[in-house]
Formats: sequence, structure tokens, C-alpha cells
Amino acid sequence: MIQFSQVTVNYGYVPGALKDINLQLRDGDFTLLIGPTGSGKSTLLRLIYMDILPSSGTVTVDKWSSYRISPRQINVLRRNIGVVFQDFKLIENMSVFDNVALPLVIEGYRRKYIIRLVRLLLDEVNMLQSERQQASTLSLGEKQRVAIARAMAKNPFVIIADEPTGNLDREASRNVLSLLERIHQNGTSVIMATHDYELIKDTPYRRIYMENGQILPPDRTFSPLNQRINLLADPQ
Amino acid sequence: MKFFFILRQTFNNLWRERTPVVATVLTICIALTILIALFEVSWTLYSQLSDLKSNLVIEVYLDPALSEKQAGTIQKQLEQYNTIERIRFISKETAADIFREEFGENITDILDENPLPISFEIRLLPEYNHPGYMSLFKKQVESISGVDEVHYRHAVIEKLEQLTEAIMVSGIFVLIILVFAMNLLIRNTIKLSVYAKRRQIEIMKILGAGNMLIRMPFILEGAFEGLIGGILSATGLIVMHKFIASSFSLVTFSLHTYKLIWVYTLSLGILIGLLTSAGSVGKFVNKIFSKK
Ligand SMILES: Nc1ncnc2c1ncn2[C@@H]1O[C@H](COP(=O)(O)OP(=O)(O)O)[C@@H](O)[C@H]1O
Ligand SMILES: [Mg+2]
Repeated sequence: MIQFSQVTVNYGYVPGALKDINLQLRDGDFTLLIGPTGSGKSTLLRLIYMDILPSSGTVTVDKWSSYRISPRQINVLRRNIGVVFQDFKLIENMSVFDNVALPLVIEGYRRKYIIRLVRLLLDEVNMLQSERQQASTLSLGEKQRVAIARAMAKNPFVIIADEPTGNLDREASRNVLSLLERIHQNGTSVIMATHDYELIKDTPYRRIYMENGQILPPDRTFSPLNQRINLLADPQ
Repeated sequence: MKFFFILRQTFNNLWRERTPVVATVLTICIALTILIALFEVSWTLYSQLSDLKSNLVIEVYLDPALSEKQAGTIQKQLEQYNTIERIRFISKETAADIFREEFGENITDILDENPLPISFEIRLLPEYNHPGYMSLFKKQVESISGVDEVHYRHAVIEKLEQLTEAIMVSGIFVLIILVFAMNLLIRNTIKLSVYAKRRQIEIMKILGAGNMLIRMPFILEGAFEGLIGGILSATGLIVMHKFIASSFSLVTFSLHTYKLIWVYTLSLGILIGLLTSAGSVGKFVNKIFSKK
């Protein structure tokens, strides 16, 4: 379970990137975080893998709490979370194989086990044929699939995807979404931030709407205001 | 696997920054070579100096007109000095014997009578075997009535002592500059490598990598530079030794010396590289991420 209670984030002298957020995300859910650029989606996600800590309030992720966590424990937490980004965050001059192997190397697994597991993961995202290729040579859609394989490597209890389709075309976007859906069906929680309303409009998942660092109340989800947000979220 | 990952990263860093790495390795090599050579030269000079000193005698020549009895009272006077290890009395006859041994002729054959004065050969206690005390001693003894002259080979010793000192001082001066340069260059390659890998470091942090895994490749990079610098330095030193040994047949260097050179250069090189990089990598990594 992931819980935000009265969480506020100020970046330096810029206040209110998030304002008094209260939110609960249950294990096994697929959650969509929807809102225009600058609404605080990334900030909220960064709190989950504790890339930043709240200025006030508490974030609880599984058995870890942002209130008193050591740098060492933050590393342990991150090794139990899968993260996917708009810009993929692959190591460009390493092979596809080495990129997916990285979390397993960090964990200190044995070579034999790593080889078997990475092949399985690459097969899962349909990238096994490119395992020797350097990450920089891949198409954007392929890069994101490799990134998802890497995020899945440690069999995390939650996958955090921050606008994973932001740089992809329609087809690659659908491909990535269906991959995340498959991961969800296998029991992993998925939290995906997006401003691509078109992509997710027919999905049945829980939607959390954000604006100006705040979560909009559920009763306004289908209000005219929300229509405006949807327009903002999907400028095309 | 972690180990291989670290090694691969290390060599990747070294290859990526090869130009500054070569400059750093050469500086380490030169510094180690000078350090070891300086140590050897000053050690050789020092041991020769102490050899010379321990064989050094002060010769006290008495007035030729003095009788052996009068000489005896002067010896008593000299024996009052507790800085003296021993005194050897050299009679006129002994002096003539020495003369014969050295020049192969009887002095009494050349001259009618033995003109050689009675003298003493004085050896000072080792802790007083330095020019400062010796010149004081000379002055004091020369003031004793009946003493004609006091001699010792101070010139050679003073020269040698000055030489040793000059070599040490200039060597240490050069060495300080080189150690400074070495430190600067090692830190520079680590800084460049960390900067080149900043995105990878950021990604590894997001994946939960600990400080050890993130920093180790850079620490080993410094250690490896030290290792290569050490190997080059040892090779250079041994070649120089072979050259010196073949041009002066007097000096020979044993296998033992070569082993010691390897041990010193390698362990010093690795230690310097390791400590310098380990001491700076954390700062460079933090600097990159402090803006976040
Ligand atoms: N590193 C940062 N430093 C200062 N302000 C930031 C930083 N990151 C985000 N912000 C600000 O915080 C607010 C929320 O940003 P973000 O969480 O990135 O929104 P989103 O992901 O929805 O586009 C924005 O106003 C943004 O300008
Ligand atoms: Mg964002």
C-alpha cells in the first residue's frame, strides 16, 4: 500500500508543487494520474521512490515511511519498485542486455541467474532478438519496452510510470500501455502518470485528476471543469 | 557479477579518459622514480658518509722537540675528554715505520735523524663525529702547549655532507611539487570520469545502487593509474640500475634490490592512486547531484 497524508512539496523557494495531498493506493490497483504539465504528477511519483522527500506530511510505501528513512533504506525501497520514464533513462552506451541486467547486478545476483532472467524479461517485452544491440540504436518504442523489462527485473510490487508514452507515437504508446496492463494482470500495482487522455479514455482504471499541485475531488471527475482538464491534458 | 561490472566500468572509464589518464600515469611514474632514486642516492651517500666518519681519525702532532715523557703528560690531558673513544700513541719510531710502509724508504736514510714528531691518533665517539664538534676539538687541542698541529680530513666529509644535504633538499622540493601534481591529475581524471558518467550514476541511484557500487569504479580507476605508474617506474628504475651497474663495474645490484623496487613502486603507486581517488570521488558525485 502507498499512502500520502497531508503531503506538501516545495522546491526550494518555489512553494506548492504539491499542496496537502491525501491519497491511498491499494496493492494490485492500476492507477492513472492525469493532469496537465506542471500539475505535480512527477513530483507525486518521485515521492514514491523517494527521489525527493515531502516538505511536510508523510509518504508511506509498503513498510517504508518518508518520516525517518535512512539513505540505505531508500536504496532498498528503490530496489523493490520498478520505475519507467518518459525519457527511458537507459544507459545509452550499454547493450540492451546490460541495461536490463543492471538492477540484478545492483542486487548482487549470480551471473547464471542474471542471464536466464534477463532473457526471459526481454522475451516478455519482445526484445530478445536485440539483446546485443546498444541501447542508443533502438527506436523510441523499443527503448521503452527495454525500460519496462528493466523495471520488471526485480519483480517489484509496484511499477511507477511517469508519462511512459510521452515520446512515443500512437502505435508504440498502445503497445506500452498493453504491456503495463499485462504486468498489472499478473498482480503488480501500476501507477501511470499521463496527459495523453486519448490513450486511456476507454480504460476502466482508477483515475486521479491533478491540477496546480492538488488532487481534484472525485465528484468533479466528470464535471465541466474536468472536461477543461481533459482538453488541457490532451492539447492535440 | 557485481565485481565484473565494477571492473568493466573501471576500464571503460580509463579508456574514455585515456588522454588525461596517460598524463596522470606518466606523472605518477616520474614522481615514484624520483622518490625511489632519491631514497637510494641519499641512502648510499649516507652510508658512505657514516663509513667515512667511523674510520675518521684526528691526528695530533706534537712539537718535535718534545720527549716521550712530556708527550705522556699531554696524553693524560687528552684522556680527560670523555668524547674520545680511544687514543693511539705513535712514537717517533712507529711514525718512521709508517713512513717506510707508505713510501718504501727509510726516513733515516734520507735524513740523518728522525724528524718525525710524536703524535696521537684519536678516534672520537660516534656521536661526536661531526664537523661542528671536530673543529671545536681541534681548536681546544691546538691550544694545549706542546701540541703543534691537529689534522683531520674534514674537507671531504664536509663536501659529502653538503652534497647529501643539497640532494635531499632539492629532491624533496621537486618531490613536493610532483606529489601535488600527481594528486591534482588523479583527481582530475576522476572528476572527468564522474562527469562523463553522471547520467549513468543518476540512473543507478534511481535503481537503488549503493555508494559502494557507484564509487568503486572510480576508486579503482585511481588505483589502476597508480599501478601502471608503478610498473613503468619500476621498469625504468631497473633499466637505469642495469645501465649504472654495467658502466661502473664496482656497483652491482642484487635481485633483492630489484624485488624491493617492485614492491615499493607498486605498493606506493596503488596506495597513492587509491587514497586520492577514494578521497575525492564522493565529493565529485555529490557535486553533480547537489543542484537537484
Ligand atoms: N526540480 C524542480 N525545481 C523547481 N521546481 C520544480 C522542479 N520540478 C518541478 N517543479 C515545479 O513543480 C511543479 C510540478 O511539477 P511536476 O511535478 O514536474 O509536474 P508534472 O509532472 O505534472 O508536469 C511545476 O510548477 C514545476 O515547475
Ligand atoms: Mg512530469
